[in-house]
Amino acid sequence: MGSMFRSEEVVLVQLFLPTAAAYACVSQLGELGLVEFRDLNESVSAFQRRFTVDIRRCEELEKTFTFLEEQVRRAGLALPPPEGRLPAPPPRDLLRIQEETERLAQELRDVQGNHQALRTQLHQLQLHSAVLQQNHGPPPAAAHTDGPSSERTPLLPPRQGPHQDLRVNFVAGAVEPRKAAALERLLWRACRGFLIASFREADRQLEDPLTGEPVTWMTFLISYWGEQIGQKIRKITDCFHCHIFPFLEEEAARHGTLQQLQQQSQELQEVLRETEGFLSQVLGQVQQLLPRGLVQVHKMKAVYLALNQCSVSSTHKCLVAEAWCATQDLPALQQALRESSSEAGVSAVAHRISSRDMPPTLIRTNRFTASFQSIVDAYGVGCYQEVNPAPYTIITFPFLFAVMFGDVGHGLLMFLFALAMVLAENRPAVRTAQNEIWQTFFGGRYLLLLMGLFSIYTGFIYNECFSRATTIFPSGWSVAAMANQSGWSDAFLSHHPLLTLDPNVTGVFLGPYPFGIDPVWSLATNHLSFLNSFKMKMSVILGVTHMAFGVLLGVFNHVHFRQGHRLLLETMPELIFLLGLFGYLVFLVIYKWLCVTVTHAASAPSILIHFINMFLFSSSPTNQPLYSGQEVVQHALVVLALAMVPVLLLGTPLYLLHRWQRSRHSPRPAVGQQARCVDSSDACEKGWSSDEEKARCPGGEEEFVASEVLMHQAIHTIEFCLGCISNTASYLRLWALSLAHAQLSEVLWAMVMRVGLRMCGEVGVVSVVLVLVFAAFAVMTVAILLVMEGLSAFLHALRLHWVEFQNKFYAGTGYKLSPFTFAIQDE
Amino acid sequence: MLESAELYFNVDHGYLEGLVRGCKASLLTQQDYINLVQCETLEDLKIHLQTTDYGNFLANQTNPLTVSKIDTEMRKKLCGEFDYFRNHSLEPLSTFFTYMTCSYMIDNVILLMNGALQKKSVKEILAKCHPLGRFTEMEAVNIAETTSDLFNAVLVETPLAPFFQDCMSENTLDELNIELLRNKLYKSYLEAFYKFCKNHGDVTAEIMCPILEFEADRRAFIITLNSFGTELSKEDRETLYPTCGKLHPEGLRLLAQVEDFDQMKRVADHYGVYKPLFEAVGGNGGKTLEDVFYEHEVQMNVLAFNRQFHYGVFYAYVKLKEQEMRNVVWIAECISQRHRTKINSYIPIL
Repeated sequence: MGSMFRSEEVVLVQLFLPTAAAYACVSQLGELGLVEFRDLNESVSAFQRRFTVDIRRCEELEKTFTFLEEQVRRAGLALPPPEGRLPAPPPRDLLRIQEETERLAQELRDVQGNHQALRTQLHQLQLHSAVLQQNHGPPPAAAHTDGPSSERTPLLPPRQGPHQDLRVNFVAGAVEPRKAAALERLLWRACRGFLIASFREADRQLEDPLTGEPVTWMTFLISYWGEQIGQKIRKITDCFHCHIFPFLEEEAARHGTLQQLQQQSQELQEVLRETEGFLSQVLGQVQQLLPRGLVQVHKMKAVYLALNQCSVSSTHKCLVAEAWCATQDLPALQQALRESSSEAGVSAVAHRISSRDMPPTLIRTNRFTASFQSIVDAYGVGCYQEVNPAPYTIITFPFLFAVMFGDVGHGLLMFLFALAMVLAENRPAVRTAQNEIWQTFFGGRYLLLLMGLFSIYTGFIYNECFSRATTIFPSGWSVAAMANQSGWSDAFLSHHPLLTLDPNVTGVFLGPYPFGIDPVWSLATNHLSFLNSFKMKMSVILGVTHMAFGVLLGVFNHVHFRQGHRLLLETMPELIFLLGLFGYLVFLVIYKWLCVTVTHAASAPSILIHFINMFLFSSSPTNQPLYSGQEVVQHALVVLALAMVPVLLLGTPLYLLHRWQRSRHSPRPAVGQQARCVDSSDACEKGWSSDEEKARCPGGEEEFVASEVLMHQAIHTIEFCLGCISNTASYLRLWALSLAHAQLSEVLWAMVMRVGLRMCGEVGVVSVVLVLVFAAFAVMTVAILLVMEGLSAFLHALRLHWVEFQNKFYAGTGYKLSPFTFAIQDE
Repeated sequence: MLESAELYFNVDHGYLEGLVRGCKASLLTQQDYINLVQCETLEDLKIHLQTTDYGNFLANQTNPLTVSKIDTEMRKKLCGEFDYFRNHSLEPLSTFFTYMTCSYMIDNVILLMNGALQKKSVKEILAKCHPLGRFTEMEAVNIAETTSDLFNAVLVETPLAPFFQDCMSENTLDELNIELLRNKLYKSYLEAFYKFCKNHGDVTAEIMCPILEFEADRRAFIITLNSFGTELSKEDRETLYPTCGKLHPEGLRLLAQVEDFDQMKRVADHYGVYKPLFEAVGGNGGKTLEDVFYEHEVQMNVLAFNRQFHYGVFYAYVKLKEQEMRNVVWIAECISQRHRTKINSYIPIL
């Protein structure tokens, strides 16, 4: 948990990798995932870097792998996941892998080519026989050869027309079905009247040799007159990629061809089967080789990409890399470097260097804290060593959620759901589920667990379980005492459906309920106004406490970054402003709860009026003071709070200006700063701590820009002061949402479940109907109250954390340490 | 169309407009060009293109890499994007898209007819055809002997059919006639497209009309330039000019009488838009008239993205992408032919 409080110490290390061992070192670092490499060659374009040739070779290999993968996939085979840990292969192995893959790919290509050719041939044969089998009616007999101009023939000398001696020719073939209509139209338009075309669907579907999809081809038979037309037809059929087959005119000859074709295709299928057997053999080899090779080459490429970020030392004997590494991991890094460079004889070394850049943020999480950290990171990754709000979020987030979601029953359902996920988290089926919604829920299972747990707690406080009150303890109110005291007669009772319990009457109010809201309120008609008053005050109290806590967390930042002035000039005025105004409001609420009793109920002072009067410096005679000397205290608080505004506005800028002027006049601090820059460990903590610090940062010749600092501070001041008011009001969403949730579940109970329970009639019928009613109730409870309401309460809790809480102290402008690791390739 | 296109434009075309703007953002930047120009070999070029939005579009190409492979793959990519737009478009945007493909279809038809005339195989020419202008009947073009044949048999069902009205003739298709046919088709295509945009009104008209006017005038200038020293008569020349440009009618009449480049320049001087363009010709770096026109076109297309709720962005995107492809091909050619002196004369897309 210590590491959760702020991000770990991260230092810039310089790695000297002997050329011979560089590859082994980086590959080992990739396995460990300790360091994040910095690009030292930013100005060099991608293709001018040192290892581009090797990367290109890896890419070539990847291309071949992609081809093999595609083939395996098309054959309908699955690739087994690679077994065990596969380290990146040494560079000399690349050649072997490349040769092996190339050979395999070539073999596969050859076999595939053969296979494809055979299939195409078979397809052709099948098409041919389909065309021949197709009975396109009797070929036009010679008597019909007058053909196209039959209407006109009577005008011409009969049987001596120019077409008389022309032979009828045939073109038979098959065309893809989607093109058939266009082909038919084009034929008609181009050679109108000189042909008769008949189109038929083939009897059975044929597999397309390329895609393997079944297609029902259209066969056609065109009979035409004249050679010119024949050429035209051939051109047209060519352009539609038709298959044209010789068409014999005699029935018997066609029959003979058909038989011949069938025999051929049988032989061909025999050959095809053998080819397929061989193909599956080759594919089996690929299946063995591919998963290993893929991981290895991916790792190899990653190593070369990392090596490309290194610069070459002046002696060309070693590569120089710069990397961010957590201080804690430095021994492991040294160890890894020593081990992997032992072969080369020259040892690789790593040593810290100083840097003026802000180091990346590293916060190690476990499976419990991960989801809470991700809530914070979604807002912004914290700056280096900034206070991390995540540990506090673990409690405050589920709590604020539960305030809005308070219901024992709903909380319990949520808790059980999360518990089931937590218990099943090690099962591989649950872990690897690809559903995005499921992954979201699963990732936040511990968050859901706590949210459910806290909802049960607040549910008990609100005394609501599926909107019904529970009577665990005896109620603190006694109706009997009231009835005895005021002597309600039967007639009185029958005329007055509503009765008032007066706590001033002795024996009626016995004392507060031990835990939460008294169940008697759920019967009362003024239930809502009672709860409203309670929840509203509770929201303000929670809000002010939460915000004050946020401001206090800022103290840790200032102390850590050694900015004592901000402690005095920012945190203190902020705290006084917040607590002086809104903290006082909280005090008033609690004071009234404790000190104003029911006996003075009629003349109880109004906090609202008091609070308004406090700002107006006035008093209203009808409103009794809460305690003596109240006005003096209030005036003092308002004046104090308003006095803090100029302090907050001008304090830091004036202080910085003063310090800068002093440092300019005396040379002493400059020397000190220079020294600090050299001393690496100290400089790491300084220098980037904040904008203002940067403005006067050592070494740099940056000028102190007073206007900029002032502007920045002015914005901060305005935001904080206005924010105090609006943020406090914003916490009232706790009230609103919990009210909405309670009312919605109440409505659901009254409109669905109660209707079912009130039914009367035969037991059998009623019980069946009740099952249906309960089913509706259950579905709506889950869909509306748990999922929808839960989502909205979640979003509001998220907002309260991001906007109201974190803006008091959290900058969130850092970036994560993303170490060079093979984790992706290993998966 | 009503004035309030803003209200409901997004209902039908909002998705596609968003998409095309995203695509536009993926055009190569000035920095990319600077890096591309530094490449030593086509492999380097490929590596650099991989870092852009082209991604590994060349990954499945077998070695050795050639310029034509790069060109084909780039065209394929553009074509894929365009088909996506087209398949998801609603009327009247889909008609707009059809108009956009028509110019490529005309080019393809003419290419095929020229090929048939020179007895080249259809396959060889098909490879050269622009994929945006592909249609089923295209390959049957070579069965036609005359233009009316061509129209009646092959093209009557294609979107090109309406443009044939003015150019029906029984002349045999020789080289000159084909060239005339191309220009006439283009003329009626441009006029129809212009009319379509004008009738559509709204921002689309405001953006597209100037672009098409420029396109028409550019064609007029180029036709004039190419007709110097040919047997084309001045009357015939005038019939080829598209009449939807700014030059219409006086400029075109003057242009028909022009006999050399200087006279043409004098005609252009009457127009504020074209005067600076002609003055830039031959200036720094020896720009040709074509380059200058391209630059102006790029400028207009880039500006089209400044307005919202119109179809012009689609046209502009395709044109910009085409220009980018021309640039990459130019650079690739310069690299592969080791002719680096002129490598910088690509048309920058701002």
